[in-house]
Amino acid sequence: MRWLRFAIGLLIALTLHSLLDSFFPNALAFFNPYVILVVYYSMGGNILGAIIAGVFAGFVQDAFSGAIFGLHAFSLTVCAYAVAYVNSRLVLRGTLAFGACLAGAVVMNELVIYLLVIILLKQKVEMFEQGLIVKTIFTLLFGMLVYQLLLLFLREEPIAATQRPAGW
Amino acid sequence: MAAPTDVIPRRPTLLFIVVLALLFILMSLSTRTRYVGETRTMFERAVMVLFSPVPKTVNWIGGTASDMYHGYLDMRRSVSENNDLHRKVADLTTENLKLRQSETDLRRLRSLLGYSEQFGMQTSMAQAIMLDTSTRFKSIILDRGSNSGIEVNDAIVNANGLIGRVVLTTKDMSKVQLIVDSNSSVGSLVERTRRQGVIRGDGANGLQMYDVPSLADVQEGDAVLSAGIDGIYPKGIPIGVVTKAEKGQELFKTIHIRPSVDFGSVEEVIVIHTRKIPNDVVRYAP
Repeated sequence: MRWLRFAIGLLIALTLHSLLDSFFPNALAFFNPYVILVVYYSMGGNILGAIIAGVFAGFVQDAFSGAIFGLHAFSLTVCAYAVAYVNSRLVLRGTLAFGACLAGAVVMNELVIYLLVIILLKQKVEMFEQGLIVKTIFTLLFGMLVYQLLLLFLREEPIAATQRPAGW
Repeated sequence: MAAPTDVIPRRPTLLFIVVLALLFILMSLSTRTRYVGETRTMFERAVMVLFSPVPKTVNWIGGTASDMYHGYLDMRRSVSENNDLHRKVADLTTENLKLRQSETDLRRLRSLLGYSEQFGMQTSMAQAIMLDTSTRFKSIILDRGSNSGIEVNDAIVNANGLIGRVVLTTKDMSKVQLIVDSNSSVGSLVERTRRQGVIRGDGANGLQMYDVPSLADVQEGDAVLSAGIDGIYPKGIPIGVVTKAEKGQELFKTIHIRPSVDFGSVEEVIVIHTRKIPNDVVRYAP
């Protein structure tokens, strides 16, 4: 069931990506729906599943963006692992916890991309700090809105634990 | 023997490290082949092919929605334009009708003006505002009265011929007795033979000529004019055309006349301010 939700979420993220590219080019510089999806899935606490989700979501983002293929897969996998690792030990639930995880994931994702671009392409990302702040704020706002909608729609805690705490 | 508890947590971490390493290799390969014009890696292409329906569908939906929106806007613009054009057509049609009416009025008034100039007497124009030809007593009401100089017994004509005489005036209206009224009498003559007689209304929108001897030469189709002998109507105004002239029971002919005026369509009329016969002359009249 969680994988089905993930697949649907991935399709929605890609749809959003396509829509934003069509109507508001460069909108993804301020907002990243894939991070929301990966964090949502990883908060279940299943590290293995989170790694797979991060790789898949990253590949899809890479395929439809102009980045080096594997860049987003790498960064999202790191985020997914981190979030899942934390949630395998501390069962974080609720909108605020989700927001905190999401904010951390966005910052981590951007930092990893920043480092990889420097290492692999020997390039410096222009206006990194400003971009990071804006992206964090917008992604956080949108992510929490999505979380609230899920809460309203599912009438239960959207994130079900898929792994018992500290089980691994 | 149970598995050591610290081995299991390392499995995902190990997997994580392996995955990151593989991704790093993939990125490195991708970096090498990534320059302008280079085809993407097979794996990247496979992912794109797998998920391509999503952007295509989004693009199709977006395009269709955009087309529909623009189609809707165009349709609304067309409807609005169509309404405007309909309104313009209606306005132009109305204007055209008014112009046609004005042209007809102008022609009629010009002919009336030319006709009124034939009389050596003072004339004025008036408009028929009420018309009663349905009963035996046939009359029309004019929109001018004594304030306009209209007096009782003024003759009323239009471009087609004689209409009647004023029988009553107020300050701003006049009542006209039509010549087809059965109580009306007009001194008349047959244009061709100058034979005189008296015309009266037959009570049914027609006229009859009396006092014409049986031997007089009056034929069907003869034009009949006013004779100017009654002190009311000037001489020479067309009255009608003889439709039937036959020998009567006594010494006079029975002559039926079709009026030259269509009394049902009288609009503008000329009022002829007839020269009045002085009272002392009237007193000595036979």
